[in-house]
Amino acid sequence: MNEKRLNQLFAAARNETAPVPSADFAADVLRAVRRARLAESVSIFDQLNFLFPRIALAAASVIVLCVAADLVLTAVGLPEVGEGTTQVSSHFLFNAEEL
Amino acid sequence: MNDDAELLQRIRAGATDEFAELVRRHQVRVFAILHRYERDGQRVEDLAQETFLKVWRGLGQFDGRAPFEHWISRVATRTALDHLRREKRHRNEVAMPELGDDALDWLRSADEKDGPAAQDAAEILNRALAQLSPADRVVITMQELEGRSVKEIAAALETSGIAVRVRAVRARAKLKRALEKLLET
Repeated sequence: MNEKRLNQLFAAARNETAPVPSADFAADVLRAVRRARLAESVSIFDQLNFLFPRIALAAASVIVLCVAADLVLTAVGLPEVGEGTTQVSSHFLFNAEEL
Repeated sequence: MNDDAELLQRIRAGATDEFAELVRRHQVRVFAILHRYERDGQRVEDLAQETFLKVWRGLGQFDGRAPFEHWISRVATRTALDHLRREKRHRNEVAMPELGDDALDWLRSADEKDGPAAQDAAEILNRALAQLSPADRVVITMQELEGRSVKEIAAALETSGIAVRVRAVRARAKLKRALEKLLET
């Protein structure tokens, strides 16, 4: 490819017409700007507020499950969860001291 | 008709809807720039939207020393450069469109009298420029197709004028090799 042909190529390509924006392009951009503004204006507190009902529900479920498990363990005569944990930790500490 | 400075002042003061008028004033220029780097019309529109979103976010950085159209052209070029870099990473996954018969005929002919049709020339250049690095492609496109000065190219690429000159010479040589390679295929 010599310089003359390369320049012919550039000269011809300069005349190519670009696609025309659609009639509602500016309106689409404005909508995108509004969406972006909205997304950027949501703070960490807004997100926490949004998540709060779910976090509260999850915490309540955990509490209910623990109480239910404790009651069931007591009813069938097994040591309570708290007692079991104490036993395990004292056993572990006793072994650790021996080492 | 108000000039851009007045319009910008109103937008900065909170008249968001006026941004649509700014888009209407500059959309043809932005589409023309982006079309030099991307042939698909839908993608050009997506890139144009990305450009105007960047313009919106960066309005505070525009100091008004240079004309607004220069600044917006620079944002469009940077958007195109980012696009080329993303494309480069996925080049192997995307097949390049085949050249049309007319474009191939011109490329194969030795006739130096007649140049190719505009669309054929753009197709051929698109294929060959895709072999260059994104920065090389931007330099060649801005210099040869948009007729920009070295200073403008340097500003768009955030580099020195000397670096642009050196890159332009090397990129032109690479482009010639890429075009010769096209002939072999």
